[in-house]
Amino acid sequence: MIINHPLLGPRDAAEFVIKGDASLIDRPDWQIENAAEAFHEYLFLRDNPAGEHRELWYHEQGDRSWLVVTRNTLTHEVTRVEMARDVARKARA
Amino acid sequence: MADMTLTATPALEGYDRTIGTMRLAERTSLSLVSMAIPLDGEGRAATAVRKHLHAELPPATGSTLSSDGSCRIIQTAADQYMAIFEHHNDAFTDLLTNALDGAVYVTDQSDVWVGLSLTGPDAVDALERLCPIDLHDSNFPVGASARTVMEHMGTIILRTGQHDYLLLSARSSAGSFLHAVETSVRYTQP
Repeated sequence: MIINHPLLGPRDAAEFVIKGDASLIDRPDWQIENAAEAFHEYLFLRDNPAGEHRELWYHEQGDRSWLVVTRNTLTHEVTRVEMARDVARKARA
Repeated sequence: MADMTLTATPALEGYDRTIGTMRLAERTSLSLVSMAIPLDGEGRAATAVRKHLHAELPPATGSTLSSDGSCRIIQTAADQYMAIFEHHNDAFTDLLTNALDGAVYVTDQSDVWVGLSLTGPDAVDALERLCPIDLHDSNFPVGASARTVMEHMGTIILRTGQHDYLLLSARSSAGSFLHAVETSVRYTQP
């Protein structure tokens, strides 16, 4: 599988480590009232879609950037690759 | 008390071998400094690199050479660069002690890497068995650099000439790295 890194261009998937669902970027606030429930959901509850899925990938054997990769779990087709920091900043704005 | 002197030993004892049309040699005199850019300090760092090292900060997959040719800079991550000096010279010492007047954070990396130079017309054939990077001229021209993985070992590859590559990997696994590269070079030679 080839991941088209936004800064470095196409790179072999062997350089990357998958780090799980992209929703892990949205860490709950630990001070909110239902924090325990929110963290339970954040840590343990995962969607397992057959089709498009957004995932965090870490470029460990490269520039050590975090990416959000949109991938089809049925075909392994990668449709979109973004820098995770850009995704996080956009969500916060 | 007896006089003691410490003598630096190269990781591969100065390995240098010609295999067919290829030459594979350890680069024993490289001096390496990693430079990390402080938060929002990109502009200041670029100016300081220009002033002290007489070079530009390179783009993500390229490299730049200082005007006197003694120092090459590559980017190893976002906001992180590596200065590669051919020899242990004054500019290297100056960079380590002054950190470009505090414009970057520096770490001496000279003793934790092993450098191999691979030269010869079959260099790409030897590397294609190990290196997941597309080394075609259009994607990896002279001066291009990348941090990648070869035979499960983290590697920085730098194209220093048409048929000339510099490979940097961890000193702690220098023997395994040499074995991987040498084996691959031997495959390309009749």
